[in-house]
Amino acid sequence: MLRDVNTRKVMKNAFRITKHKYKTALRVRVPGGLGDPLVFRTVADIAEKFGDGRIHITTRQGFEILGIDMEDMPEVNEAIQPVIDHLDTNQEKRKAGYPASGTRNVAGCIGNKICPKAQYNTTEFAKEIEDMIFPNDLHVKIALTGCPNDCIKSVMHDFGIIGMCLPEYDQSRCVACQACVNKCKSYSVGALSIENNKIVRNHEKCIGCGECVLNCPMLAWTRSPKKYFRLVIMGRTGKKNPRIAKTWLKWVDKPAIMKIIANTYEYTAEYIDPEAPNGKEHIGYIVDRTGFEEFKKWALKDVELPERCEVVPTVYWDERKIW
Amino acid sequence: MKQIVSKEAFNEGLAKLLTEYDIYGPVRHPYRGTHSDTDKIQYQQVHSFDEMEWDEKSQFSPKSAVLPINQLLFYFVEDQWLEASETMRKILVFLRPCDLHGMKRMDEIYLNNGAPDYFYERRRKMIKFVVVGCKETYRNCFCVSMGSNVPEDYDAALNIRDDHFELDIIDEDLAVFAGREADFDIDYVTENTFSIEVPEEVDSQYLAEHDMWREFDSRCIACGRCNYVCPTCTCFDMQDIYYKENEDAGERRRVWGACMVDRYTDIAGGITFRSKYGSRMRFKAMHKIYDFRKRFGYNMCVGCGRCDDACPQYISFSETIEKVGAVMKQKLNEEDPA
Amino acid sequence: MTNEYIPQAAVIREIIPHTEREWTFRVETDGTNTKPGQFYEISIPRYGESPISVSGYADDFVDFTIRNVGRVTNYLFDLKPGDKLALRGPYGNGFDIEEFKNKEVIIVAGGTALSPVRGVIEYAYYHPEEFKGFSVICGFKSPAEVLFRDDIERWKERLNVIQCVDGAPEGYTGPVGMVTAFIPDIEIKDAENLQAIVAGPPVMIKFSTLELQKRGIIDHNLWVSYERRMHCGLGKCGHCKMDDTYICLDGPVFRFTDARKLFD
Ligand SMILES: Cc1cc2nc3c(=O)[nH]c(=O)nc-3n(C[C@H](O)[C@H](O)[C@H](O)COP(=O)(O)OP(=O)(O)OC[C@H]3O[C@@H](n4cnc5c(N)ncnc54)[C@H](O)[C@@H]3O)c2cc1C
Ligand code: SF4
Ligand code: SF4
Ligand code: FES
Repeated sequence: MLRDVNTRKVMKNAFRITKHKYKTALRVRVPGGLGDPLVFRTVADIAEKFGDGRIHITTRQGFEILGIDMEDMPEVNEAIQPVIDHLDTNQEKRKAGYPASGTRNVAGCIGNKICPKAQYNTTEFAKEIEDMIFPNDLHVKIALTGCPNDCIKSVMHDFGIIGMCLPEYDQSRCVACQACVNKCKSYSVGALSIENNKIVRNHEKCIGCGECVLNCPMLAWTRSPKKYFRLVIMGRTGKKNPRIAKTWLKWVDKPAIMKIIANTYEYTAEYIDPEAPNGKEHIGYIVDRTGFEEFKKWALKDVELPERCEVVPTVYWDERKIW
Repeated sequence: MKQIVSKEAFNEGLAKLLTEYDIYGPVRHPYRGTHSDTDKIQYQQVHSFDEMEWDEKSQFSPKSAVLPINQLLFYFVEDQWLEASETMRKILVFLRPCDLHGMKRMDEIYLNNGAPDYFYERRRKMIKFVVVGCKETYRNCFCVSMGSNVPEDYDAALNIRDDHFELDIIDEDLAVFAGREADFDIDYVTENTFSIEVPEEVDSQYLAEHDMWREFDSRCIACGRCNYVCPTCTCFDMQDIYYKENEDAGERRRVWGACMVDRYTDIAGGITFRSKYGSRMRFKAMHKIYDFRKRFGYNMCVGCGRCDDACPQYISFSETIEKVGAVMKQKLNEEDPA
Repeated sequence: MTNEYIPQAAVIREIIPHTEREWTFRVETDGTNTKPGQFYEISIPRYGESPISVSGYADDFVDFTIRNVGRVTNYLFDLKPGDKLALRGPYGNGFDIEEFKNKEVIIVAGGTALSPVRGVIEYAYYHPEEFKGFSVICGFKSPAEVLFRDDIERWKERLNVIQCVDGAPEGYTGPVGMVTAFIPDIEIKDAENLQAIVAGPPVMIKFSTLELQKRGIIDHNLWVSYERRMHCGLGKCGHCKMDDTYICLDGPVFRFTDARKLFD
């Protein structure tokens, strides 16, 4: 029977301190939200054997296995090992469960595994990021979404990665049916117009949703094989100044995003408030404190931005009063 | 002349032909499909056999090799009209048997419906066809039902084998391949995954008023994909453009048209003759399986199934033909229950 | 091989305005191979081409009566006598005068559709003795929109011409009503052999043919001229097709026995 419990350690090990004393819940990470029968079976087995039979699906695409006795934590850690192995989650010691919980599961919308609108495989990219940043105690939330529909709500994250299609036009295939013009106008931002029987794209207006490519019956519009993204930053929910993330980089690529995220961890480590309650401070608040310029200096260190990348020089967030 | 030709010898032969011919074949463009991380397969100029994609059906037909999507007809400078010249190189098109049957339909419209079309004829005279035999049917194909499965009237034909080609050369001009003589037949399928019956007797007036078309009013989105991918859709629109640098000069082109797409029947005064999408479906279907036949004696549709492959709304043209057949049967039964 | 697509530049000899939006352009070109009911493709380079009926012709000119409705026609209305436009044609079958000779004839036309039949009426005006009777009912929206006013007055001298308007301001003394309203009053001697022509918008064709059928005119002797979208005039572009019929090649003039079977 447990009597003394270091709650810090429990939480770091991805177990929750719940309202029921001595009862915990395990938080299972599923990067990019893609599981398979083994993951589900293992989670189900643990819920049956150690929990009270209830499994909660979290907003961040993990599972919480409820009603676990704290005494069983070591056995549960052993039992979850197949999931950790299978999803290739970084671990410090085998059969010791998750080594950290601060940096949250990297979430992704369904992405182009099946979604016709998505511009890339969100799960694969999420896994690459997860692999780079986990385990870490810093409280960072990242979400990836296939297109500007933003089904994962990446604009409520520290980093929102939104797929962009760079449309390329082959005018010799265009038959001037205007499907692209009409769809861009009715579904998106109206960046296309017809001039002299050919289509003109307003690159400034274009948000890379890809409706032109999706709707062109001739495939006169195609997507550049090079993947581009929009990076929106420092969105957050919470009691203090919740806000929507804002675009910082448009037409940025994967290597640049990876480096920026890595740099941000260094920046955060440098500037996090040592007095912060539970050692936990969202990066958004740190950026508020140091100023955007300082963040930018750190984040862009040694980053090679693609040539067509557009950088918003200074990002301002609208802090509308919600509460 | 039938011969067995090694891959190397085949490519060497093609290299020889390339000095005189522009060669067209289906080419896969990775990542250029409608959806991300999918491919596009379209016809275009190639320089070797390896550039061609034969494992999958090409999404677009070879008609662009014969009838360019955007064809420049002439330039105008003030009131001078300068006919667009074309490089008069010969053209060699590699295509499947159904698509070669499609070419016959194109010829019918462009050469025999009224006077021969100047621009079409000029290009067509330069074109020779190499049929690539089909060992297996693809999804949605119904060439056997349309009688267009058998390779006919080709200039050359070939079977693709693991490490060699079987080549049947009819046109002397193409006999440039080193190989040994052999006997074989060009592959063709004798069965698709399904077969349909095209109704012999079609009462187009009765059908025009039949409500079988109304389901398409809302199902079809009039995108025209079915037209654009079709090897036998021949329609075009005229387009004039002016040059931005000099507005007195410009050009007239013709550009592929589509009877499913808005504006096709619009005339001044706000009149549209087929505004309902179901009526456009009927018009297209009748053209493919009846109207053309009434004029020229055989069906226009060759059963390549590309319209079904391409339709984002899962509308099946082959099933539409069957529905027409069923409606006509029902009509006959009602008129004469015996 | 002739290149049918290349138009010939032709000088506008005269412009005869009828209303603000409808003018006749007399264009200098060889009219000897032209028949009433045929059409030309008129080009304005950079703007496009429009099919336009022949509204009159002689050895050295062809008339086109054009309504200003859009891109190409707008531009045409900026031209002056002496300017050039570009032509190709004539296309289509047109009316064969021989079919009408020695018979009673009724022509029902609405608005600009008077153009395709004007040549037939002109022939009758100059050779009235070749017909057993010749009536024209031509309708316009309002008195202000009447076309070929002088011609109509002249035709009245020798032919039975009813020029009506759909509606008119108070005090107008001429006939008011749709063309169909005047069909029952025409005197007919031998309905079975009478030849009738209907030219106008689709709705007018529908109701006028009905009225004429009521008068005992048989479909075989009933002629209509169809107007459909056209991009080539040569049986290639497909736009004008109805069922298995290409209006540009097989028409635009049809016996009603054939026309009534055509569906869009
Ligand atoms: C056989 C025939 C005879 C005709 N005769 C006459 C005539 O004598 N006088 C007259 O004023 N008009 C006539 N028309 C109609 C005339 O062709 C159109 O009004 C004209 O094409 C409009 O062109 P736009 O560019 O000014 O108008 P827009 O509305 O800008 O037209 C754009 C395009 O639509 C097409 N189009 C629009 N309306 C028609 C139409 N009715 N028929 C075919 N294509 C069309 C053309 O390709 C045109 O270039 C005739 C049409 C046909 C088919
Ligand atoms: S949808 Fe494609 S073919 Fe149609 S106008 Fe746009 S680019 Fe051209
Ligand atoms: S492809 Fe399908 S949706 Fe598009 S026009 Fe054809 S039938 Fe309609
Ligand atoms: S106008 Fe082109 S086919 Fe009739």
